[in-house]
Amino acid sequence: MKRLLVMPFLLLLTGCNIKVLDSRSDTANDQAFLIIYSFSLMLIVVLVVSILFIRFVFKYRYTEERKDNIPPDVKGNKWLETAWVIGPLLLLAILAVPTIMMTYDQSPVLSTESEQEGTSVQVTAEQFNWTFEHANGKTEQNRLVIPEGGTILLHLKSEDVIHSFWVPRLGGKVDVMPDRELVYEIKNPQIGTYEGKCAEYCGLGHTNMKFEAEVVSADEYASYLNEK
Amino acid sequence: MKFTLFGVNIMLPSDVLAAWVFTLLLGAVVVFLVLKKKRLGLIWEYMVTTNHRKIGILYILFGIIYFFRAGLDALFIRTQLAFPNNDFWVFQGEKYNEVFTTHGTMMIFFVAMPLLLGLMNTVVPLQIGARDLAFPFLNAVGFWLFFFGSIFFNISFFLNMTPEIGWTGYAPLSTEQFTPGAGSDFYIFGLQISGLGTIFTALNLIVTIVRHRAPGMKMTRMPLFAWTSLITSFLILIAFTVLAIALYLLMFDRLFGAGFFSGTEGNPIYWQHLFWIFGHPEVYILALPAFGIFSDVISTFSRKRVFGYPIMVLSVALIGFLGFMVWAHHMFTVGLGPMANTFFAITTMLIAVPTGIKVFNWLFTMRLGVIRFTTPMLFSLGFIPSFVMGGVTGVMLSVSAADFQFHDTHFVVAHFHYVIIASTILGIFAGLYYWYPKITGYVLDEKLGRWHFWTFLIGFHLTFFPMHITGLEGMPRRVYTYDDSGGLAELNFMSTIGAFLMGVSMLFAIWNVYKTYKEGRKVGNDPWDGRTLEWSVASPAPEHTFDPMPVVEGIDSFWFAKSAGKKMPVTDQVRATPLEVQSILPFLIGSTLFFLSLGLTFSWYWLSILSAFILFTLLVVRSLKDEREDHYGRRK
Repeated sequence: MKRLLVMPFLLLLTGCNIKVLDSRSDTANDQAFLIIYSFSLMLIVVLVVSILFIRFVFKYRYTEERKDNIPPDVKGNKWLETAWVIGPLLLLAILAVPTIMMTYDQSPVLSTESEQEGTSVQVTAEQFNWTFEHANGKTEQNRLVIPEGGTILLHLKSEDVIHSFWVPRLGGKVDVMPDRELVYEIKNPQIGTYEGKCAEYCGLGHTNMKFEAEVVSADEYASYLNEK
Repeated sequence: MKFTLFGVNIMLPSDVLAAWVFTLLLGAVVVFLVLKKKRLGLIWEYMVTTNHRKIGILYILFGIIYFFRAGLDALFIRTQLAFPNNDFWVFQGEKYNEVFTTHGTMMIFFVAMPLLLGLMNTVVPLQIGARDLAFPFLNAVGFWLFFFGSIFFNISFFLNMTPEIGWTGYAPLSTEQFTPGAGSDFYIFGLQISGLGTIFTALNLIVTIVRHRAPGMKMTRMPLFAWTSLITSFLILIAFTVLAIALYLLMFDRLFGAGFFSGTEGNPIYWQHLFWIFGHPEVYILALPAFGIFSDVISTFSRKRVFGYPIMVLSVALIGFLGFMVWAHHMFTVGLGPMANTFFAITTMLIAVPTGIKVFNWLFTMRLGVIRFTTPMLFSLGFIPSFVMGGVTGVMLSVSAADFQFHDTHFVVAHFHYVIIASTILGIFAGLYYWYPKITGYVLDEKLGRWHFWTFLIGFHLTFFPMHITGLEGMPRRVYTYDDSGGLAELNFMSTIGAFLMGVSMLFAIWNVYKTYKEGRKVGNDPWDGRTLEWSVASPAPEHTFDPMPVVEGIDSFWFAKSAGKKMPVTDQVRATPLEVQSILPFLIGSTLFFLSLGLTFSWYWLSILSAFILFTLLVVRSLKDEREDHYGRRK
């Protein structure tokens, strides 16, 4: 099982500050929790299968003594088969509960259906630039400045093809569509500068369609809005 | 580089030029060898054949050729990504976008599909006691449509007009406004023509399996590969029809200014829905036949029947059914709303249940058995843990709120390569090693087979395991470069080494085929101590099989008769057999669609009209002739 041996090595190599898991907002924090939670549940599955696999392959391997052995003609076993229908169903039920809760909490919705309150920023994507327009009309390209704490509401719309807005440390992706305006919430971001990028393949300049997301204090945000 | 030919200035990038030179040289070698060994007759024989085994060989041959072509694309991708801020050859920007588009499209449509269809073509009739597919002529048409579709897609590269819209072809990027070149048209028509062929073959397999089983071979006694082929064929019938509709609408958008996927009336979401209603079942179209192969191989080399046969069949059917209810899990970030996201998260999780049933049943098939580590069995054993790793990341991806992070990153790339390579590719290798004697009469070398297996498996894990982490480190799909942060450099370099190791492993496979051809050991009917009917006929399978026709008395009837030291009972009461014909019409029908598409792509409408007219004439010619009349007399 060399791949199991490789795993801790790789984790050591990258350290524990994997960007998506090292979250800097409540939104990303919930997502990181779900990732770890589902990963732990799935680790159980991998372990069970690996143990059975290694045991059976080793124990029932072909040997000289068992050369002419004709195994018993087993057709199946209804109890065992029921067990591996019920077991996974239970495991998935445990996984489904937080999944449904957070999906309802976090799924991006149409602008017209959004009822949340917070600091709004209009995000416009085009091949291959981001434009961020704040409440007072202040506009900047490829640099998003938002205040710490509270709720940030991003109103996203594309000018041309489909793009996807992603700041790994602040939260998951939301597609930026040409035909509709979506709203995505980022809750309680912490001060810092994070990299953001386009995550949906959008053409020639996709790789370099990056921006900077800067979370600043409320005072700094206010002065940012007012500076020319 | 630039040069002038017949007064036209032609600009060719160095990669395209290299492809021309390489292809012409290779072509010259092939032509030389064919002429020297006087094998033109053989080529003609395969062009006019309607025999299921020969058509199967053609599918497999071209599947493998394209595997090398698309594998080379993968090596270009990995070389470009080997180091941060790397500049390898021409593969930045546009060329990189082209190379990942062709890699994905070809691996799915022109590698995995033909290899699986080839194995089904060759093996399914032999497993169920049919003498050929129900419609041999249609079978040949299906192959030549695949062939010309794939050639059509491939010539785009030589004309330097490669599509660059990703294998998913998302609108509006794929509409004329954003990709005005001919590249996207090559994508549309290449897939359309070959998809049509796939639909024909699926129909053919369904009728064959329902109508042409040997006496006593009830549906409940069929080997699992035949079962999975049947269910896969139903999936193809529905999914590829949806793809054909999507491509048709996109064609109208591009060529005739319709607005299905853009503008005020249309909507880019429609493309995603149509594409994934095809695309997700397609994943199961690739995986299910492989599951069938593993079931047969594991059972044979454990010397035991498949554990829980009824639930194995049921779970395949369930996977197929659920496969049509999960497509929007590719669209969690599109903004369909919390309701849709929850529904598709739950259905996706549910698929894990029948898949889990299969994994445990495979494990318990081996329990108490006598496990022989032959090459086909090694590939099947490698499949189980690798596939489970891909399966559990699939469940992680189904957690929709977590998927907002995973979506379109290298984590997803890792996931789908884990499931597709572990199931489809390892399954195809297992199947090819397993049935190679039945196809050619020779058994492949075991030692080289082991080398192939171990280098491939290690290379595969080395390539894709680190991608889970690079994805979580914020590396999106389909980018040609990255900055050195968070261990991205080391992890990507590891992936590149793994990819080259997989490349090396394929050289072992080729060496194996060559060695077997030169000094191979001729084998009898039953080299593996098999359990199912295909091992009762001669190797290679002759054109006229099952004479006299065996009578099947239960699951693995052949094996139980053999271990009791008896012969299977036979009968001469058989259904009318499909008749083989020699005809060049299937080849010509395929070629007319090729020229029809070429005309539409470049707006040479006279060529399209002419091809359509010839196609219609060929169909009329075909419908005037029924070869069964000479043999069975006119229908009353």
